[in-house]
Amino acid sequence: MALVVGVALVLSFPTIAPNPYILSAGIVVLSYACTATAWNFMGGFTGYVSLGHAAFFGLGAYGTGLLIRDVGLPSFAAWLLAGALVLLITIPVGIAALRVRGASFVIVSISFVLILLLVFQGWGSFTGGSDGLVVPRPFPDMLRPQHHETFFYLFAALLTVMLVVWWLIDRSRFGTGLKAVREDEDKAQALGVPTRNYKLVAYVVSATFTGLAGGMYALWFGDLDPIFQFSIMLGAYMVLMALLGGVRHLFGPLLGAFIVGTGLEYFKLEFGDTQFHLVAAALLLGAVVLFMPDGIIPAVTGLVRRFGPQESSIREVTAAELLERNGGTSPVPQPGATAGSDGSRTTSEAAPPDPNDEEDPR
Amino acid sequence: MTGTLLFQSLVLGVLLGGLYALLAAGLTLYFGVMRVVMIAHSAFLILAAYLAWYFHEQTGIDPLLSLVVTVPLFFAVGVGMQRLLITRLRPVTLTMMSVLLTFAVALFIEGMIGFVWSGTQRRIQLPYSGDSIEFFGAQIAVVKLVAFGLAALSLGLLYLLLKHSRFGQALRATIQHREAAQLVGIRTDRVAGYGFGIGLATAAIGGTALSLDATIYPSLHWHWIGPLMAIIVVGGLGSIPGAALAAMVLGIGQSLLQVPLGTTWAQTIFYVALFATLMLRPQGFFGGRLAQRF
Repeated sequence: MALVVGVALVLSFPTIAPNPYILSAGIVVLSYACTATAWNFMGGFTGYVSLGHAAFFGLGAYGTGLLIRDVGLPSFAAWLLAGALVLLITIPVGIAALRVRGASFVIVSISFVLILLLVFQGWGSFTGGSDGLVVPRPFPDMLRPQHHETFFYLFAALLTVMLVVWWLIDRSRFGTGLKAVREDEDKAQALGVPTRNYKLVAYVVSATFTGLAGGMYALWFGDLDPIFQFSIMLGAYMVLMALLGGVRHLFGPLLGAFIVGTGLEYFKLEFGDTQFHLVAAALLLGAVVLFMPDGIIPAVTGLVRRFGPQESSIREVTAAELLERNGGTSPVPQPGATAGSDGSRTTSEAAPPDPNDEEDPR
Repeated sequence: MTGTLLFQSLVLGVLLGGLYALLAAGLTLYFGVMRVVMIAHSAFLILAAYLAWYFHEQTGIDPLLSLVVTVPLFFAVGVGMQRLLITRLRPVTLTMMSVLLTFAVALFIEGMIGFVWSGTQRRIQLPYSGDSIEFFGAQIAVVKLVAFGLAALSLGLLYLLLKHSRFGQALRATIQHREAAQLVGIRTDRVAGYGFGIGLATAAIGGTALSLDATIYPSLHWHWIGPLMAIIVVGGLGSIPGAALAAMVLGIGQSLLQVPLGTTWAQTIFYVALFATLMLRPQGFFGGRLAQRF
């Protein structure tokens, strides 16, 4: 039910958006949702926090742009090929990064972004360097609002594909193996889960989807700059969005992207170029990590359950109910009855049965 | 490349490596005591540089004197950070979550520096800023020498503290095996807090040294954290001598490569070394059991 309403809201957004700016903000939020969901293939299933997924976003974006500019491929063929290239690049990177756990993995992921930033800034003749790279628009004869609308649906389609794949993995044997890695990697390995290969596949899938989101962004936005594509901030936003929503839930990253993306757009609009959005993002990230590491979805469902019926820690259960629950076979002792009858058990009709009787009916 | 030029870059590399060594020692100290990758380390470095600059701007006194304030201040902040923030995290996910938490701290510092002092590039002008001395044909700027001296002195003090004091023994015991240290009566919580404080104090010293001859701006810390993290992985997470040695080697390497390749490409040596280390020896060149598990 909620799903249908959500889908209807997303699909009708271009028609109800009051002006092109709101629509373009909607596209930005949707692209954030794509990256956060893509990140969640690695972060959510295996628990490996990668702060460097912006690297794959940038590679996808630049791959698409360069394939169109230098090879002359049609836009969407270039997009798919760039996704395939990201996949190929990720395999060796993943093998190197996944040789270590935890802390070193994070360090490697950040380093990969920083190294690519250096390369793409330094190699100006190929990538355009800090001057930026202009990506030709795929639909040259479209007006701007129409262009936005088309890309809104394209991003929504990409997001849907990702969500479906995530859902499928979530219920597969592969997904269970990944979750075992998240909970206890050593035990998973001891139980025969091929942890390295599983992690590598998750990493590659995650990176490829991130690359595709980056390529789509390049086609839509049309202007790339290494500073913004290979930015650690972008990777950090992905983590923040996924964590905020809840990494163990299908729609967690989407929800987080909606909140963080809307907030970022608001801050950009209100405060412009000041550093306020950094401070706000920092405070939000700190608060999430300290107080809500499981995200909003578990927090809210927990809250609902707390105020819902039948879930308090002290349960009031009448003797009759207890009798019914136990199958009605053995009469239940009533503490009040024995205490009140000061030991004269033989006279009382409702006397508790002997310990011997209690074992009998089973 | 002529002999003089080679020698000059070698000397500059040693001077740079000294600063890297001090900062990497701090970074590896946090990891040792708490299993925390402190991304905010370089943000505190830049903050200390800004404080030194501001101190000089307001009073006109030599920025080195700001150390009297910043070192105790950063030590206290470090202890407070460990006590109030890091220990609140769940032990199971401590390593991953602490990365995010310290990342948030780094962003906060960057944002606040930009807010308070604006994003303009700053530089300290000192009477001896332009001076340099000749050393076997190599021209060495005095400020770089002062920075190196400061780093070397602090690193020496840190070494003495760790090797020859009761507190140092307790700290090293905590790094090696926390539970065992607790069993022999070390208050590991307190020791870990002080370890964190000392780590942050190295950032204060490094930042002041950096402010002498570098142009500073709020987002500069991203240029420092990458190399520093690469250094501690190459040296082996948790190993202070490993970090110092890797810092020296990579600092010299960067300085030598700057001549034929230019500054941007020379920086990639850190990442090349990082990936090579992971492929050949994932636990780092001096790391033991500890490094591979985290």
